[in-house]
Amino acid sequence: MIRLEYFIALAFALYFVGLYCLATKRNMIRLVLGIEILINAANLNFIAFSAYRAEGFVDPLAHSTVIISIAVAGCVSAAALALIVYAYKHYGTLDIRKLRQLRE
Amino acid sequence: MFSPPLDIILLFAVTTPMVGWCTSKSRFKSFCGLYVIIGLSISAYALYSILHEALVSPVRIPVSIDYLRSSLKIDALGVFMAATIIAIGIFTAIYSLRFMAKDVGISLYYTLLMFMIAGMIGVVFANDFFTLFIFWELMSISSYILVAFRKHNPEPVEAGLKYLVMGAVGSASLLFGISLIYGLAGTLNFEALASALAGAKGSWLYLASLLVFIGFGIKAAIVPLHAWLPDAYSAAPSSISAILSAVVTETGIYALCRIFFAIFNPALVEWPIIFAILSVITMAFGNIVALLQMDLKRLLAYSSLGHIGYMLVGLAAGNQLGLTGTILHIFNHALMKGVAFLCVGAIIYRLGAGRLDEIAGVGRKMPITTVAFGISLFALTGMPPLNGFISELTLFMASVQAGMAWLGIAIVLNSALSAGYYLRVIRALIQPAKSKEIKNVKETPALMLIPICIMTIFILLFGIWPDPILEFARKAAAVLPYAT
Repeated sequence: MIRLEYFIALAFALYFVGLYCLATKRNMIRLVLGIEILINAANLNFIAFSAYRAEGFVDPLAHSTVIISIAVAGCVSAAALALIVYAYKHYGTLDIRKLRQLRE
Repeated sequence: MFSPPLDIILLFAVTTPMVGWCTSKSRFKSFCGLYVIIGLSISAYALYSILHEALVSPVRIPVSIDYLRSSLKIDALGVFMAATIIAIGIFTAIYSLRFMAKDVGISLYYTLLMFMIAGMIGVVFANDFFTLFIFWELMSISSYILVAFRKHNPEPVEAGLKYLVMGAVGSASLLFGISLIYGLAGTLNFEALASALAGAKGSWLYLASLLVFIGFGIKAAIVPLHAWLPDAYSAAPSSISAILSAVVTETGIYALCRIFFAIFNPALVEWPIIFAILSVITMAFGNIVALLQMDLKRLLAYSSLGHIGYMLVGLAAGNQLGLTGTILHIFNHALMKGVAFLCVGAIIYRLGAGRLDEIAGVGRKMPITTVAFGISLFALTGMPPLNGFISELTLFMASVQAGMAWLGIAIVLNSALSAGYYLRVIRALIQPAKSKEIKNVKETPALMLIPICIMTIFILLFGIWPDPILEFARKAAAVLPYAT
């Protein structure tokens, strides 16, 4: 059986990949992907912990949390993409650094 | 299902688009608004009817013999926050009847407003992390869309996108922190976690609490995590800025109170000193940057940061008095900043401009609005007969009691500093008119004046006679077990 530590290490790696994506990418669609990676890191953590709680037992609480969290992540992406469509209409670009109307 | 007040709001939120669709052909445009106000009023009555029961012992939902199974717990702190949220929601909805009348998609505006209020009430009633997270996201997603509601302008879309990206990172960090807590304790229920983590120590607990802190801190706009706040407040419609500033950011502070004083023992995790440093940074940054602002809504946004700093003082002090001060300041700040944003909205509605040099002299044409605005600004400064003074005094006393007198001195200095820009606004309002547009400005419409006036009366009332609300805040703070 694979040890729990590997799953947690992978979750942390995913979390940092997501943060790196958000910090460096300029394309707004890629930012949405970064957010998805962050949320999936947390979901993976939940699943790993629930499977290793006790021998031969998987905690349903964590699974229901993950299912709801996937749905919520979908809502966030939908809202983000809707805003990106409007941002593209106004600015004519997907580059987040070109959105500078508010800086004074 | 989720306790009467929350059920009623959710029911009305789901049915508002249908009402909007049915009445879209009629000439009476504000039917949706009236429907929402009725819903909020019924919910306020439902909250009042469980108030006494909740103050004696927490109401658990679903009712079960095994108390660990209840996902909602309505205690004094929850009732206090929910009452504040519903009150601000009603005032904002009344104000929006006229303020948003010319916008398209008004039924969706009210639906999102209701979902945002439902989300906040769910957060303050939640008794496990799972419920808290769902309602937290309900509140967050509605607020992202509401900030970008006037999507035909570029600024709101940009601000909404910025808010969404930062908020989503916060939510993801929160979820990651929750997953680590779940791994440590094997449960998500607050009471079970409190007993499982009592006396626990170690680097995993630090990490989990740090991630949860980042999640709530982004929403509460604590300074290194505040970048979304000035843009979101200045680009959102003024009624939404009012509710965001009055209760949505404060929900983050509430969550910090609940998590750090009912689950993690703050003394074990060594958070007080971090809270103290962050509070000084937050209040100093907010007040100093506000001095440089010319745009009224941006100025008020930075002043919100200053007040978030004051609220953190209570968390840093960590004693009963400090938490009372924080909770009382959440309520008082909701009233004061609500009035201030609604008045700015009224000025923008009549004049079409919100910069300090453009509004010069508008006070002579809009006397009632200006008086209310002036009172709210004096209250924000912390002037004695008004309500802001009471809570800032409580926070000052708490910091002295906790042996952190330097924090109390920081509050006093920052209040003095903040007078610098509040007085500048008042001066701009009452000086002689310069431009021609000012000559034709009329007083704010009566429908928008009603909530402003009622809230201003509350500011005066709770400043002169603070005993009942102070007593309520003390009861609310008493439910947090780790306060010293």
